[in-house]
Amino acid sequence: MAEKEQKFEDKIKELETIINELENGTSDLEDSINKYTKAMKLVNECDEKLKSIEEQVNKIILENGEITDFEIEE
Amino acid sequence: MNQDKYLTVSAVTKYLKFKFDTDEHLRTVFLKGEISNFKAHTTGHFYFSLKDEGSKINAIMFSTNAKKINFSPSEGMKVLVVGRISVYEATGGYQIYVEKMEQDGLGNLYIAFEKLKQDLAKEGLFDAAHKKTIPKIPMRIGIVTAPTGAAIKDILSTIKRRFPICETILFPALVQGENAASDIANKIDMAANYEIDTLIVGRGGGSIEDLWPFNEEIVARAIYHSKVPVISAVGHEIDYTISDFVSDLRAPTPTGAAEIAVPNMIDLVKHIEQLKIRLKESILKKVNYNKLYLDSLKNSYVIKTPMIMYENKKQKLDLIETKINTLIIHKLETSKQLFEHLKKNHILKNPQEIFEPKAIILKQIIEKLELLNPLGILKRGYTLTYQNNHIIKSISDIKEDSIEIRLYDGTVKAKVVEKEKK
Repeated sequence: MAEKEQKFEDKIKELETIINELENGTSDLEDSINKYTKAMKLVNECDEKLKSIEEQVNKIILENGEITDFEIEE
Repeated sequence: MNQDKYLTVSAVTKYLKFKFDTDEHLRTVFLKGEISNFKAHTTGHFYFSLKDEGSKINAIMFSTNAKKINFSPSEGMKVLVVGRISVYEATGGYQIYVEKMEQDGLGNLYIAFEKLKQDLAKEGLFDAAHKKTIPKIPMRIGIVTAPTGAAIKDILSTIKRRFPICETILFPALVQGENAASDIANKIDMAANYEIDTLIVGRGGGSIEDLWPFNEEIVARAIYHSKVPVISAVGHEIDYTISDFVSDLRAPTPTGAAEIAVPNMIDLVKHIEQLKIRLKESILKKVNYNKLYLDSLKNSYVIKTPMIMYENKKQKLDLIETKINTLIIHKLETSKQLFEHLKKNHILKNPQEIFEPKAIILKQIIEKLELLNPLGILKRGYTLTYQNNHIIKSISDIKEDSIEIRLYDGTVKAKVVEKEKK
């Protein structure tokens, strides 16, 4: 992958910025529609991320730096 | 054998107990020592011994007193106790009934804590300007704590409950004892290599000595230098450590740290839903506005009656046409008048009046020219003499014998016989 995926939090931030611009801005229709398209893409990405809930397995770093699954002892 | 002088075990024990209980030196005893064989009974009573290098005394602390202490007594802990010493008849052993107990050496620890806190504050390790922002929606949380115990359990279960899609990576560390501080610092450094959004550093509650690694300079500096934002979560609400001051955010407990670290999934989903609604409303508003504007344009006078534009231009064209016509007619008129005027001119009507006098003058000039014509003179008997096509006017012009004589009606080639100058 050439480009690292934008962080979830950054996506939400960008989304909020675009919406504020659309709500208050004076941008023309074409620009607005471009912004809307971009924002819808972000919304869908965020939705997808949230809805694809596969619960994350806890991990632990071993002394040698390796990562392995970690289960809490009851 | 007279047995009357023999006492029962109970009697002598009772006697000894009486002696202990009436001795005012044993009623309130201030004692210091090290805890050993510590047992916290299910009833809440503590059973343990206090010892030093030379001796040992059994101790009991009843639950009413035991529940008042704010630390967990443990093996080898140095303590200061206040209580009375008496005999427990059932075992015949004497023991101290502890009423109050606190940790020995706390004074020294407190001084060390205050000094380090001041030094690091002066150095700027606690400055708000250096605090990093804790990400609102982390996708990977690092945790530096013990792999067993309540702290890790609380943190993981809280994260799972609130934000199950978040990854967690535990960096297991010793959280008490001699090597704990360097181990914790080490794990904080290590966490920088795992693309972690937020790092939780802490442990569950314990005695001030248990929490002490989090008051060590090496841990404070590791937190200060961490590139990952750090939330500290050491002990209970009331416990403050140096780590709490230097970290980017202090949580009252490990559970609290997890609550601060991750958002609530339900809130986040709601937030995104709201953003979606706002997004749709804003674009609809924009589109509607443009639609209305377009309608207003469509209804404008010019668009509705396009002939107006044409008619205006047509009218202008007509005007120009009229102007041009007028100008041309005027020009024609003037030219015609000029022509009429010229037609009436006297000279043009009688051109002979111009050339008749001229003809008379011409005739006179021709007659004069006739008089001047040298050939006319020849007619009257004169001749012209040439030598080599040059006219000979003087006798000295004759260079050779052959000459040419031109007459009125021809030429004679002749030879000079004799020259005689006058």
